[in-house]
Amino acid sequence: MIEVKSLEKIFGDKRALQDVSFQVKKGETFGFLGPSGSGKTTTIKILTGQMRQSAGTANVFGIPVSQLNTPEYRKRFGVVTDNSGLYARLTIYDNLKLYADLYGTSLQRIDEALESVNLGSEKKTQVAKLSKGMTQRVLLARTLLHKPELLFLDEPTSALDPANSKHIHNGLKELNRQGTTIFLTTHDMEEADHLCSQVAFLNKGVVQLLDEPKQLKKQYREEIIGIELKDGRELELPLKASSAEEIQQYISREMVERIYTKEPTLGDIFVEVTGRELV
Amino acid sequence: MTFSVKRFMAIFQKDLKDLYRNLYVSSTALMPLIFAVIYSRIGEVPLAMHLFVITLSLALVGTFLQCAIIAEEKEKNTLRGLMLSPATLTEILAGKSAVTIVITIIVTAVSMFIMDFSFTGRGWLIAGILLSLVFFIALGTWMGLITRSVLEASVYILPVMFIFGMANMFIGLADQFSFLQVLEYTPGIQLEEIAEFSEAGAGFDELWKPFAIILAWVAATLVLAAVTFKKRMMD
Repeated sequence: MIEVKSLEKIFGDKRALQDVSFQVKKGETFGFLGPSGSGKTTTIKILTGQMRQSAGTANVFGIPVSQLNTPEYRKRFGVVTDNSGLYARLTIYDNLKLYADLYGTSLQRIDEALESVNLGSEKKTQVAKLSKGMTQRVLLARTLLHKPELLFLDEPTSALDPANSKHIHNGLKELNRQGTTIFLTTHDMEEADHLCSQVAFLNKGVVQLLDEPKQLKKQYREEIIGIELKDGRELELPLKASSAEEIQQYISREMVERIYTKEPTLGDIFVEVTGRELV
Repeated sequence: MTFSVKRFMAIFQKDLKDLYRNLYVSSTALMPLIFAVIYSRIGEVPLAMHLFVITLSLALVGTFLQCAIIAEEKEKNTLRGLMLSPATLTEILAGKSAVTIVITIIVTAVSMFIMDFSFTGRGWLIAGILLSLVFFIALGTWMGLITRSVLEASVYILPVMFIFGMANMFIGLADQFSFLQVLEYTPGIQLEEIAEFSEAGAGFDELWKPFAIILAWVAATLVLAAVTFKKRMMD
């Protein structure tokens, strides 16, 4: 679906992307993770034909991104970026009707798309009266109108509260189940862990790690079993067969409050790999 | 190159609906009507005065409206959404220009009605006005692309108003200020020439020059607008 090889982008004397390579397969949810200024939005702009790369190749749907600027290809993908806008004086419905007409989809899809972002009852509300979170959900609904094969999402839940984020996450998972490939940039590691089948860590324009979240967590896991005892003590034992007897003793004496493995979050791994916090 | 009437109409309808609710821009576009009412009270209005209001209408409605519509799309980050949709550059610009054309024609026609000016038998003048309208809209498109907000657009429109919208008034001062002679080449003055020549019964052999000058303005602004659009739409 997306194939990027040795991608570079230079702004003046600043190298925004360096030798970036990755592939996104059909049906995948790919997370492009990194702090602000790491090159995530630049990558989305290149992949959607809004910006030209300085070097390297970027293909979407098997063709170079420079050839994406035709109505036929644009109907196949959707984009929500952090600076996407809506017409404030118009209602939610009028905003979505414009795009339904542009994409040639039925007006019935407006209701369906609004339902999927939990805004079914708000379609007559003027956009100027919406909160930032609601605006973000309308933008998502607008992108879902034409059921794109490929969806680019740049920090889609950054302005949302946990309840609405969860609603959006469920919607995205359902969309992905229906076959939509999702390219997601985020600095929310929980979101990436919850949604993505593959993640790439981008730091200062360089992809430093690329793998499945499960594999990464396995790879960076500390081989330790933690035991919290009822008397308040905490023990760390090696994750080996030799620890089994000791653990069994604590259990048989009913001393155990909690047993856990020390599995890192994607955020922990990012910090370990890049030395930077995800902000 | 594809052109979808459905997409063109979608943009046209949206802009019309949006403009209806945009009091600042729509009230500014009604200014020529106020001039028309004032001038209609001074008794017999000379042809030059009619041409002044027509040119003012073209500049204030045609250029400012187009400029404000595009500047606001940029200011609110909605133009990028349109550019990423299946709508082509031609469909977007045609949809927006159609709104400006319709409103400019209505405002100009109503202004002339108020001033008791009839277009009957003035085919050359109508042709000249329509050609000039293309220039004023292309100029508005270009200005909309180089300004970042409606507020900035309303500042940038001032020199355009003086140079292109009020040339018919300032040309009277060209004897005192020689630099103003350059205004003779503005579309407004060319429209005045077209009106005067055709009133005197001249044919195209005499009228081609003002038409050619307006056409040159049209070509230059169309190229400028198209080049700027392509440049501004890529980061």
